[in-house]
Amino acid sequence: MSALFDAIFKGLLPAAKTAVQEALDAGQSPQEIINDNMVPAMEAIGKEFAEGRVFVPNLLLSARAMKGALEILKPLMQAENTTTAGTVVIGTVKGDLHDIGKNLVASMLEGRGFKVINLGADVSKERFIEAARDNDADIICLSALLTTTMGYMKEIVDAVRESGIKVRIMVGGAPLNAEFARSIGADGYSSNANDAVDLAKSLVA
Amino acid sequence: MKEVEFTIAPEELSRQSVWFAMGYRGSTPEQRICDMAEEVIDALLPAAVVKYMYRLVPASKISPTAITLGGTVFNPGGIIGSYLDGMTDACIFIGTAGREFDAKLKEINSEGDIVTDFIADSIGTVLAELAVDRLERDLRPGLNLSMPYSPGYCGWDIREQQSFFPLFPPEPCGVTLTASSLMQPEKSVSGFFAMGEKLIRQPYHCEICKNSKCYKRRKG
Repeated sequence: MSALFDAIFKGLLPAAKTAVQEALDAGQSPQEIINDNMVPAMEAIGKEFAEGRVFVPNLLLSARAMKGALEILKPLMQAENTTTAGTVVIGTVKGDLHDIGKNLVASMLEGRGFKVINLGADVSKERFIEAARDNDADIICLSALLTTTMGYMKEIVDAVRESGIKVRIMVGGAPLNAEFARSIGADGYSSNANDAVDLAKSLVA
Repeated sequence: MKEVEFTIAPEELSRQSVWFAMGYRGSTPEQRICDMAEEVIDALLPAAVVKYMYRLVPASKISPTAITLGGTVFNPGGIIGSYLDGMTDACIFIGTAGREFDAKLKEINSEGDIVTDFIADSIGTVLAELAVDRLERDLRPGLNLSMPYSPGYCGWDIREQQSFFPLFPPEPCGVTLTASSLMQPEKSVSGFFAMGEKLIRQPYHCEICKNSKCYKRRKG
């Protein structure tokens, strides 16, 4: 187990930054560092969470450490034309201001190698479509925590399909379930941040 | 109609309630997470002026799923309805962690640290619930009192907030309602305690609810 894997798995931000710099100094490429250490660490903590051995704050600490390490690598990645797992546009739908869960999903997706465009909360269908088009997104992630706003998800799905852009749509949020996701024509539903990443991976595979 | 406000010192805040809101059920987070939470509590609590407003109104159960509160008909559904046999009165309430707290929460959110943001959000949930706890402690109805029930929970359609809020003066405790029935400030709570001489207070039976993601969910 590398120091970087360990730092991200344990959610130690300063240690993760130090370890990623040391890996660069040792001649590893950003892509190697991400693929060989960082993504496996996030997968490992995600597995721990899925099996009930750690809690949401542990996931968040790991995601924060991952993000801090990625900040160091990002300028180098742009120069190196590094590949990502895919591009995701994510947001909480119009009328809804809850964003804690959505931000957790965004962080976990970044941690597993996705490029994430986080549009925030109270996002209209037009903004989702514009962002997906501008960023050549692979996936749009929709979040809602209210029964009164989850209905707007169907409007977004319909608008995206009508726009003609080729993008998969996944949905999540406390009042939703897989049946609802199917009924509005979404490509997938996940009940937590960890599963959301696995779903995103499967949608771009 | 009565309005109450209070502040709470960091040492008065139940840490078990904070851990519960953070997802720990009967356990304590590891020390570094506790330490982070203590920092957030110290930063947030001076900004919090918790408020609640309540009214005692006539109430009745008119069908297995429907009730009246202060003359207005609501449909909280069968889960809540099953707890309301014998209801003759109700204490309807709105509580909030307050606008000042909400502003502080947004400030923390804008700093982009997702761990701190999550802890702060959990503390806000506890403060809003604390308003309900204080109200319950203050109530001396002379009648049996139910658990509190809120639009948006236990199968009660959140859109009924639109009928619930008019039972209070405009912007009770500074709380407003969006078109999507979301309360602002975000850390606010609304609902009612059923009261009645023959009413039997029953614990929440989360095992019969379909919302497995409810933050209030008990094990079972």
